[in-house]
Amino acid sequence: MSIPAAVSPRIAGRHPRPPWVGFSWQAGAAPTAIALLAGIVFWEVVGRVAGFRFFPPFSDVFARLFEMIGNGEILPPLAGSLRNLAIGFGIAVVVGITVGLLMGAYKRVETALDIYVYALLTAPSLVFAPIMFSIFGLGPEPIIGVIIIYTIFIIIINTSSAVQTVPRPLIEMGRSYCASDWQIFRRIILPSALPMIMAGLRLAGARAVEGMVNGELFIAAVGLGAVISRAGSRFDATTVLAVLLLTLVIAFAVVRTIMFIDRRTTSWLPETQRATR
Amino acid sequence: MIEIRGLSKSFAGRGRGRAGVKALEDVNLTIDDDEFLTVLGPSGCGKTTLLRCIAGLVSWDEGEILIDGKPVRGPGPERAMVFQSIALMPWASVVRNVTFGLELRGVSRSEAEPRARELIELVGLSGFEAAMPFELSGGMQQRVGLARALAVEPQVLLMDEPFGALDEQTRRLLQEELLQIWEHRRTTVVFITHSMEEAVLLGDRVVLMSARPGKIEEIVPVPMPRPRSDHLDTVEGSADMHRITTQLWTRLRSWQVDVGKARKTPVAS
Repeated sequence: MSIPAAVSPRIAGRHPRPPWVGFSWQAGAAPTAIALLAGIVFWEVVGRVAGFRFFPPFSDVFARLFEMIGNGEILPPLAGSLRNLAIGFGIAVVVGITVGLLMGAYKRVETALDIYVYALLTAPSLVFAPIMFSIFGLGPEPIIGVIIIYTIFIIIINTSSAVQTVPRPLIEMGRSYCASDWQIFRRIILPSALPMIMAGLRLAGARAVEGMVNGELFIAAVGLGAVISRAGSRFDATTVLAVLLLTLVIAFAVVRTIMFIDRRTTSWLPETQRATR
Repeated sequence: MIEIRGLSKSFAGRGRGRAGVKALEDVNLTIDDDEFLTVLGPSGCGKTTLLRCIAGLVSWDEGEILIDGKPVRGPGPERAMVFQSIALMPWASVVRNVTFGLELRGVSRSEAEPRARELIELVGLSGFEAAMPFELSGGMQQRVGLARALAVEPQVLLMDEPFGALDEQTRRLLQEELLQIWEHRRTTVVFITHSMEEAVLLGDRVVLMSARPGKIEEIVPVPMPRPRSDHLDTVEGSADMHRITTQLWTRLRSWQVDVGKARKTPVAS
């Protein structure tokens, strides 16, 4: 038995391109660099020419950032913030994926929980900051709590719909080969749902940074938020913007890390499908 | 041997006041070992439901199915299914898809892989072992589906319109190759199709089913000699082929009128 000669095994063996390609470094490094440069130049020019009191030029802000790194003003609060971010996001990922899987797999769990999940997703997350504060007091706990609330619901919803959209024929195929419930979960549902779960984590990653800063600004005792808040009360715009710049870099790094993991774990997705997500 | 006795199944009606649909009514059928049985019928006649019952994927209301005297209570290792939707795992390579059934049974990868490679060669996909499903055409994907089913060495191969979604020339090629494989490693095959030509070309007998309720109308023996795979075109042009397809078409056409009348009660296929 033979295959049509027109179809050569050329494509066999490897993916069309390695999973990390598609990162903007390769796919669009030049446009990204140009856009960044243009933004910085714009900032610098507006900052210098307009001379707004609370809009210092980029070079001042950048210099201030390095000064703060050098004199130890920023590294300890940064470490504290990142620690909160890691703990909060970590808890949200573990609990969120677990709850999401249960909601996706069991109709009863879904009916019981989805009203809460959707309500809390829509509610402005920051209103929970004072509640967290009153429960946990000053310290990292309320901020960790705020980060969890910012991120967990989007993780739950994505995970649960990921499980629900696993193609029925695949599950039936598994059953026809006598797969146990656990085997179906482990070998079909989980890999099939992974791309959408990862998409949820990507969204949640950016929100985690937002939650961290907002939480810290509100509670204003620890982390980068405390630095911003103190500088703000001194009308020190340069410092405020320097810290803001830093949080943007953190958010970018978090999202990119998740995208990197995503590409490694779901490298089987055809590029055409990836683009639509 | 597969014995189906008095098999009936209805689907509950959806919505208020909607009556249930009788998918299968009193189906009696005996399938011999190593027989190639094709099941033909219009869409909605319950032929796929019948196959899913044999596969143990759905339950039924009345009757029983025995395989070598043992009643079917669910999927079993002696049966393997090939799906119309092909149902390959998109995240797994061709080899991993073929070893799927074996791995579920606890066969180690090192043992399952050589067997999978043999079968991949048998279905004509040598060189594509590491390819991903999305890199393959529909016909090639269904070859993987066939290799996956053959890998578990089933006594009974259940095929649910496996070539239904393929273009004409690919379909012919795969029919030929399926017959070749079956002539060499005999298994019982239950093959669902809505194509008269396919049913006659491949089958030892053609089970003709009618819709609403789904039941067996007639079982038509196909006396054309085997092996057929090396001269399928001659078989298609033969007088027997012409006679049997005409006979089947006469029956099928006589129902088209009835089906038209009954269109008010839609049926799930």
